Amino acid sequence: MQILVTTLSDGPKATVHRDQRRLTGTAFAVGRGTQCQIHLPDARVALVHARISLTDAGALIEASPHRVVHNDREVEGAKLAVGDVVEVGPYVLIVEPPPAGIALALSVRVSKRVSTKGSMALYRVLMRASRASKRRLSYIAFFGVLGLALLAPIASDLFEGQTMRALGAGVIQVWNPGPLARSHANFAHECRSCHQMPFIQVRDDACLACHAQVREHVPKGDAHGLVAMVLDESRCAGCHRDHKGRAMTPRAQQLCTDCHGAVRHADMPRATDFAADHPKFRVPRIERSGLKFNHTLHLDPAGVRAPREKRTVLGCESCHRPERDGARMAPMTMEKHCSECHALAFDPQVTRRQVPHGPVKEVETMLREFYARLVLGDIPPDVKPPRDLPRVRPGAAPTSEERRAAMQVADERAQRALRDLMQTRAVCSTCHHVSRSGAEWKVAEVKVTRAWMPRSTFPHAKHATHGCLSCHDVRGSRRAEDVAMPDIARCRECHAGVAETPGKVASDCATCHRFHGGKGPWHTARRGRS
Amino acid sequence: MRQQPSILEYRRGRYLKLALLLTAAVIAVYAWHEPPVVYVKPYGGTWLGYTLGTLGALLILWLMLLGIRKRRYRSSLGTVQGWTSAHVYLGVSLIVIVTLHSGFEFGWNVHTLAYVLMVLVVASGLVGVYAYLHYPTLMTKNLGDDTLEATLLKLGDLDRKCRRIALDLPDEVNAIVNKATRSSARHAPLGGTLRRQLAGERVRCPTREACAALIAMGAGYTGEQAKINGQLVSAMTRKSVLIDRVRRDLRYRALMEVWLYAHVPLSFALLAALIAHVVAVFYFW
Repeated sequence: MQILVTTLSDGPKATVHRDQRRLTGTAFAVGRGTQCQIHLPDARVALVHARISLTDAGALIEASPHRVVHNDREVEGAKLAVGDVVEVGPYVLIVEPPPAGIALALSVRVSKRVSTKGSMALYRVLMRASRASKRRLSYIAFFGVLGLALLAPIASDLFEGQTMRALGAGVIQVWNPGPLARSHANFAHECRSCHQMPFIQVRDDACLACHAQVREHVPKGDAHGLVAMVLDESRCAGCHRDHKGRAMTPRAQQLCTDCHGAVRHADMPRATDFAADHPKFRVPRIERSGLKFNHTLHLDPAGVRAPREKRTVLGCESCHRPERDGARMAPMTMEKHCSECHALAFDPQVTRRQVPHGPVKEVETMLREFYARLVLGDIPPDVKPPRDLPRVRPGAAPTSEERRAAMQVADERAQRALRDLMQTRAVCSTCHHVSRSGAEWKVAEVKVTRAWMPRSTFPHAKHATHGCLSCHDVRGSRRAEDVAMPDIARCRECHAGVAETPGKVASDCATCHRFHGGKGPWHTARRGRS
Repeated sequence: MRQQPSILEYRRGRYLKLALLLTAAVIAVYAWHEPPVVYVKPYGGTWLGYTLGTLGALLILWLMLLGIRKRRYRSSLGTVQGWTSAHVYLGVSLIVIVTLHSGFEFGWNVHTLAYVLMVLVVASGLVGVYAYLHYPTLMTKNLGDDTLEATLLKLGDLDRKCRRIALDLPDEVNAIVNKATRSSARHAPLGGTLRRQLAGERVRCPTREACAALIAMGAGYTGEQAKINGQLVSAMTRKSVLIDRVRRDLRYRALMEVWLYAHVPLSFALLAALIAHVVAVFYFW
């Protein structure tokens, strides 16, 4: 079967252009797609908008799911009769009386009642360019942040002056990565006091400008080779990092063991952990203090003879008192600790006076002056002169001969008294080692050890809960040469290494040692006391 | 027709695998790394910190290059689809890399500003990924076979038709129809400001109001007038449906666009903050 399609379009000068085509078949597609036999090119027409089919009952148009307007009624499908008007989008299809041998005749033209253009303008489309453009926003964001976060802080750092400083102090804080340690916080706005040069790491000079007293870990010249090199290259900031909001002194054991776990040196044995790997304490076997002292005698539970009471019971604390800082024991002195019992009377029959506790020369001089005065007849009221002493008659002017003889007597008496002190009555030699070379008496130099373990700190105050004897067992000690220092095993009874150990105090290197030697009292050089 | 794989499935998730591998590697190294004991707090200045920081900074620069690459139509350096796929996955992995670089230390300073901006950029990017995956389907479903242009032409036709039908009806009906058809453009433009676009069909619509008025008036008509009014209501309702469809379409288009107004300016702010962060760290080293 055939249908006839006549397409009418406007020609020049109000003429109408007619284009006739015969199509063969029983079904014909209507739509804007080029595969459609009845091709209606317009956006308002669907790709395949409708189908016209020829049946025995007549011609049908089916548009479902689209719609067409059939004789002014919107429908999904309809039967076509001659004279019917079908509107598809902007097109009008009119069913014409068919010529002979043709099943259906259609004329197709563009409706005069619909717009062919300009609808877009009607609905002024669409996304009216918003005033905000991504590009402009991006410029503002970029330069805004760059200015506030970078340029302003740099400007405040580079340009000095009152205003700049006032402004800059706040601005530059946006760079501050974290609060400073408490002691540095008061100059937090002065970045340059530590960061002296832009783009150069904080130098030790900046630290030492204030911390001038800090001592080197190893004094210059004491380290050699690789150790010296490593120490030389270490910066203060290698350990002390600020802007972390807390104390900037790390005490992690690893800081020590990185070196001390590797060092091999006769004077510096390996140490990595107090419990597991620490050299024995190097304490001298005997003390050469130059003194004589019998702990057992002094600590007699029944007491010692005392001048005022009959007997006094002495304890450790009678002589050993901690210093005010609670760390070391205060040094002992003859005047404070011994003289109450140990009097230095030189001639008890004559006087209660005592010689000074000092160099032999001073004692000798004092004795000579004392006896000379007696020989010259000037007798103080507290002195009962010895009967055998030859005296110059009082009131008479002695001749030089008489004077010389008197002085000789005085000297002899003085020498005798000195011998009594040193040897016969053993006053000095009770505590001191005394020797004689020729006419001269010598008292051994006194060197009491102040710090037995000078490389460690030991706060006595913190250990007060334990009795003295639990570490320093002097029971049975009769000689001053005896050393009563605890060994490492004794410390390990309470102190573990860094690892948490039940019933023990976890202890790292910094528990007993200081990195910057010389700061604590235990690091002053080992010094004897005279 | 076979559906195009989305940017997320590009080359069977090649860049997803790459990003997962990178993230896993970074986390593993962070877990294994033991920062030097002098750092009482985590710190970006360890060797791993510097490595992660450098990696993050380079990633940010490369991610921003997408804005240039997508405009270089003649470039043959990978496909824009591949770039976008990598942009999405590597952009998300940036969160992990930069967080580990920070060592979970934050404060009120440029360093954390850069971090926050980075998070915002990535978050807005994720909104964009959602928009690109979600709205095109809805747009197709909304317009069906039509294009926006065809729908607008249809709207124009319906306007003429409504006005033609109304000629046979009383003046008050004509007034309503004229207001709904002629003034649409002036008083209720489709699209318009960003807010109107995003509101979609929720704006006050003269066409919808006209429909309601015509139905109310039609109750009083009889005979031929009622029939003509019926046709008018039918056309006006159809117009209302189409106009809502257009508004919905514009809303989807706006949603696909609007996240970029955050994503792009924020990423430039991030670039500035990144420069400030790096300079600040080494200026006062």
